[in-house]
Amino acid sequence: MYALEINHFLRSKGAMGGLVLLLLVGCLSLLIGRQFVAKQQQAQAEIARFQREHIERNVRYHQDEMGLLLYYLRFTLVNPNQPLNALSIGQRDVQNSIQSVTIRGLENQKYDTDLHNPVNLLMGNLDFSFVVIFLFPLLIIALTYNLLSEEKEEGTLRLVATQARSTLYFLLRKMSIRMLAVFTVLLLLLGIAVVALKLPLDSTTLAFVAVAGLYLLFWFALSSWVISWQRNSGLNAVALLSFWVLLTLVFPAALNAYLINRYPVPEALNTMIQQREGYHEKWDLPKAVTMDKFYAHYPEFKKYPLPDKTFSWLWYYAMQQMGDDESQPAALELKHKLQQREQATAVFAYFSPAIHTQLAFNRLAAADLQQQLGYWEATERFHERLRLYFYSRIFENRAVKTENWYSFRVESFVAKVEVNWAKMLLPLVLSIVVIGGLGLWGLSRRQVL
Amino acid sequence: MRQSPTLLIARQFWRHTLKSGALLPLLGLFCLLLAYATFTGWKTYQVQNKLRKHYQAEVRHEWEESPDKHPHRMAHYGYLVFRLKHPLSAFDYGLESYTGNAVFLEAHRQNTVNFSEASFSTGLLRFGDISMAMLLQLVLPLMLFFLGFNSITSEREQGTLKILFSQGVGWKELLLGKTLGLLSIAGLFFLPVVLSLLFLTAFGEVEQSQNWLRLGSILGAYGLFLATLALVAVLVSAYSSSSKTALVRLIGLWLLWTIVLPRSTQALGNYWHPSPSKVEFEARVEQDLIKEGDSHNPDDPHYKAIKDSLLAAYKIDSVQQLPFNYSGFIMSEGERISAEIYNRQWHQLLAVYTQQNRLAETSALLNPFMALKNLSMGLAGTDFYAYVDFQQQVETFRYQLAQRMNRLQMRYISNQKLGPQDKPYQISRKHWREMPDWQYQYLNVGQVFQQQVLSILAQLFWLVALWVLLLYSSKKLRVI
Repeated sequence: MYALEINHFLRSKGAMGGLVLLLLVGCLSLLIGRQFVAKQQQAQAEIARFQREHIERNVRYHQDEMGLLLYYLRFTLVNPNQPLNALSIGQRDVQNSIQSVTIRGLENQKYDTDLHNPVNLLMGNLDFSFVVIFLFPLLIIALTYNLLSEEKEEGTLRLVATQARSTLYFLLRKMSIRMLAVFTVLLLLLGIAVVALKLPLDSTTLAFVAVAGLYLLFWFALSSWVISWQRNSGLNAVALLSFWVLLTLVFPAALNAYLINRYPVPEALNTMIQQREGYHEKWDLPKAVTMDKFYAHYPEFKKYPLPDKTFSWLWYYAMQQMGDDESQPAALELKHKLQQREQATAVFAYFSPAIHTQLAFNRLAAADLQQQLGYWEATERFHERLRLYFYSRIFENRAVKTENWYSFRVESFVAKVEVNWAKMLLPLVLSIVVIGGLGLWGLSRRQVL
Repeated sequence: MRQSPTLLIARQFWRHTLKSGALLPLLGLFCLLLAYATFTGWKTYQVQNKLRKHYQAEVRHEWEESPDKHPHRMAHYGYLVFRLKHPLSAFDYGLESYTGNAVFLEAHRQNTVNFSEASFSTGLLRFGDISMAMLLQLVLPLMLFFLGFNSITSEREQGTLKILFSQGVGWKELLLGKTLGLLSIAGLFFLPVVLSLLFLTAFGEVEQSQNWLRLGSILGAYGLFLATLALVAVLVSAYSSSSKTALVRLIGLWLLWTIVLPRSTQALGNYWHPSPSKVEFEARVEQDLIKEGDSHNPDDPHYKAIKDSLLAAYKIDSVQQLPFNYSGFIMSEGERISAEIYNRQWHQLLAVYTQQNRLAETSALLNPFMALKNLSMGLAGTDFYAYVDFQQQVETFRYQLAQRMNRLQMRYISNQKLGPQDKPYQISRKHWREMPDWQYQYLNVGQVFQQQVLSILAQLFWLVALWVLLLYSSKKLRVI
């Protein structure tokens, strides 16, 4: 019977066409992901050469004054793309993955974005996560919406019922063949991805596969629930597509609008203003105002008294420091708001497999907001380290030549990706059990004929 | 009095749909979503613009209240500009969530426009925005297809088609009548949208009469779009053997037009025309700058030549004897060169972006949804051109600010070098007020129409093509 059923399935033109089409689009998405990561990696590789030349040139121009040289010099911390990023681009196209900062105030440097075409962002990436989250469910709907109703409408159900053990058994057999086909395509694509994108076979990749598999299983469960209503094909199609629209388009978008209004971030603009005023107003205030605050922040620099000159680099960098220090409350509030958004999203995600899957993909690919916050914090530490290192050298006005400038290489931030299996898989498993259970219960309870 | 059969059929479709169980839940759901979208759209617009105006006023206040200082210090103090949302952005978010909102303007340096909503997103935004336009472009078409897929097939399946024809109704009357019927149902959904829009425009700080023109054009564009959809639904139904086939075909078309084509054409455009990263872009600007003249390099030949020619023209032997401030002059020359180079590179970048967008824009000829999407964004002041125009206005303002400060320096700052203990030169704060405040000008409707000419033509093309198909089908279609 099984063989016959498989044969029947393989010979249906529509089904095979859909599978092949999805395979092709899947391959295209892998190409797009690979190009995206390659482009970012190329920029990250170029920045190393760029920084070397930049330091070399400026050291040549500004031999006499350490303070002036450090006014110009930029040091880079990159946020390298994880291999999985090619499967899920996530937030990495909006976020800057290269932070080139001077030791002046950080707050007006760290939010600088990369250049991008906003239309690309609006239309969205055709990456593998899109194929899994949006397109695979459509194929599942197309393959399963009329499994039962078709037989009914063509009048073959009675015939089937006499041959199969039960309608449920008959349906499960049909369903399992379609599952087999869909999962074959998924695994085939993932296999290609592993080879073509050189994905490591570690727990993150494994978790990615598991989340993708469970998400597709959810759609099979949903489909069997709709089938269990035993309505006609047209209604099944309408119902399933409506679920698809609600789950993948309307609900996430509505939630996003809610979060934006619930947690607005005026702090972003405020930080900008505070930083600018905090620094610039000091030019017109008595120097003591700046220096007292600076020495209070860094008592270790008290040993450098302010020179009796109209302008000194000590005063200048102390003023720059004030921009950061005085915008700190607003900047912390901004971070806090973003954390709140993150937490609220995670809670809602438990109730929406599509959102949950997208967030899980992004997290595994180190392409979510969380890792961006981590990168910002790493930039702060990186900046602070450089700042403290150079402050004493500037205040002593050491000779530029004494420094080994070649030792300042581009540094990397490595996002920590922890796989929390329970948190990642349980919400999906639960929704599969509930929805799939409803479907099975409905089918076994009701008399089909 | 005998009514025209077309109107009779339209009325019959209208009555039948009203009585069917499907309409009310769909209409209810649509109105619910619409209310939510209107509310959040309006609130976002209100909150954001209030905030931005508040901070913009603060920036101006701080600028005018700045004490006496050296103009070059003022040039680095600079200005902050916050992008104002267009009132109609509450209707169609367009690129709003993806474009930056705040930019710091200073001398010598073009900073990026930062703090886009997307950069603060948890990743949810990638599912899209919910706005009135999104509901009209995505949800309503699907609902109309659900309501209209069996407009002809059900007559065929129930055998009433033959009866109709035996009573002297022709294909043309039938197709037209059904289209009108479905369109009137669409009107039922569209009415609350019109009311919401009127509300938005009436209470959304109508700054220009242009907004009413924009509003009228938006209503016209969506009206034409709904007519296109009704024609598509009825024609597909007429060409399908069964209701199920018609439904599957319409769903397929919807998916193709709303999800598959827009994303894949844009992705391909992006794939074929890779744009430079910021590092690459800045490296290009810097390279050109070093080539043409680097004011930071003490031995730069370009600036050395300027100095020599100045000394010769004024017949003096040191720049200190010039009747104007020399470094102010050099900085204004440096600003001119660097701004020119930046603009040249920036226009090249825009050219790449335009190439990336072209494929999706042109796909409007295959996709009526795309034509409407672009036209709607343009009219709502939230499209690519509006953003580019904003950036252009910002750069002009920045350049004028920097050059104004350079002029002040040339005129009022002495050429004599100060000793280390001397008080720095400064000028009176009365000059700060002389600089006009930042004023953002939205594009006018005429410009929008020019930019969207392809979208408008594509929309008309679709309507005409479907009309021709309807007339052609009236002769070709068979009853059984």
